[in-house]
Amino acid sequence: MAKREKVAVKICVGTACFVQGGADLLLYDEFLDPIVLANCEIEGVSCLGKCKEAGSKEGAPFVQIGDVVHGDMTEKKFCDLVAEAVHA
Amino acid sequence: MNDLFIDVDYAQIYKSGQKIGGDVFLLSRNPEREQIVCTLSDGLGSGVKANVLASLTAHMAHKLSFSEMDLTHSAKIIMNTLPVCKERKISYATFTIVDIRHPSLDDIQVNLVEYDNPQALLFRDSKPIVWQREKILLHREGAFKKEELSRSSLQMAVGDRLIVFSDGATQAGMGKALPLGWRLEGVREFAQHQIERNPSISSHDLSRAIARKANGLDRLASKDDITVMVVYVRRPRRTLVVTGPPFTKEKDEILGEKLRNFEGKKIISGGTTALIVSRLFNKKLKVDLSCWSADVPPVSIMEGFDLVTEGMLTLSKVATALEQKKSLRTLPNDAVRKFVALMMDSDQVHFIVGTKINEAHQDPSIPVEIGIRRTIIGRLRKALEDNYLKETSQEYL
Repeated sequence: MAKREKVAVKICVGTACFVQGGADLLLYDEFLDPIVLANCEIEGVSCLGKCKEAGSKEGAPFVQIGDVVHGDMTEKKFCDLVAEAVHA
Repeated sequence: MNDLFIDVDYAQIYKSGQKIGGDVFLLSRNPEREQIVCTLSDGLGSGVKANVLASLTAHMAHKLSFSEMDLTHSAKIIMNTLPVCKERKISYATFTIVDIRHPSLDDIQVNLVEYDNPQALLFRDSKPIVWQREKILLHREGAFKKEELSRSSLQMAVGDRLIVFSDGATQAGMGKALPLGWRLEGVREFAQHQIERNPSISSHDLSRAIARKANGLDRLASKDDITVMVVYVRRPRRTLVVTGPPFTKEKDEILGEKLRNFEGKKIISGGTTALIVSRLFNKKLKVDLSCWSADVPPVSIMEGFDLVTEGMLTLSKVATALEQKKSLRTLPNDAVRKFVALMMDSDQVHFIVGTKINEAHQDPSIPVEIGIRRTIIGRLRKALEDNYLKETSQEYL
């Protein structure tokens, strides 16, 4: 079986995201399922630029999973979405 | 901004068991007359008595140096004022006065008056320089011998160091590790070795290294007060802090130009600003997740830049740390500490402040500590100037 490519996950560490929950997301080691963790490549990003978009329904913190940017991220939502992307 | 920086610092270790020193060091800068005067005085004996005598001498020397009076004449006045010890028939305090006048970069005039302290040392880069001293003999009432005062004029240039120390350094180790003490030669060799090892060693570090070595020779229980003062003439260390995106996109290129032409350390503070710079210089921006902190976002790494941090949160924490004069050791290892460390290592800090407003920070759910960029930069500059005597400047883009 060909080895699957890891899912790219980018956590925004910009000011708005960081103060509204992004800081806790950076501790992903502590709450993410190890199997899911092994199958994704998590990194920080200085700003995804989403918080400045006018009329956006979602707020900070933002996380990019694959090519999609998700807002209003919480630990639970993060775990679910990353797991979903890994098992897809 | 000034192209010249005269770095003066001293280190002092009291005689073992004493809580007060018999060596007194004074330093004053007079920016209007471009003059710096440093005085080192060693009072006879140790403890309180020596301290009183040395303070008296140092303050006299200091005040007189700032007057229009000729330095030799002031020295004579001090000598005649100094009491003479009844038993030993010698003077109560020795002194060295270094009077530096620096009207321009290639004209740094030093007038040196030495009385009974070990001879000062001069290094041009790491090469010791010997110069002629003019001897002045004075006879005072009650003294058993003629007093010899030596005076000299020196021209210092960028890269030169003048080292002045009390006899606690030259006599270190006497009778123990070294029968005749460390002596002038020993201090010279040690200082030369230190400068060769680290050619840009600061006055702070060099003076401490010499004083610690002397104390070590005395087996960490010094027999006399050890004071070492270093004057180092050098180019200022500059740091550029870029924070906030320029008001319009067209000005991004100007920012790039300014960054390219700046000589010194470069700090980028702000996520969006970092993205702009990474695009302009075509450099990869990577967030370093190895150090986690609940207070400030992690630093990023970009080739060619010394520090890349988040903006407002980090800056306000840096301003607070500088205002409270927090010691580096007490700060956790995060972006704030790295920022403060770079600030401490600079003589001149230039801020380029982007004036574009970040819409995301207008959200009422964001903590109030994220204030207005200008206010925070104002606090930073004030703290740097008042608490750390740094030169700062700023421009808006």
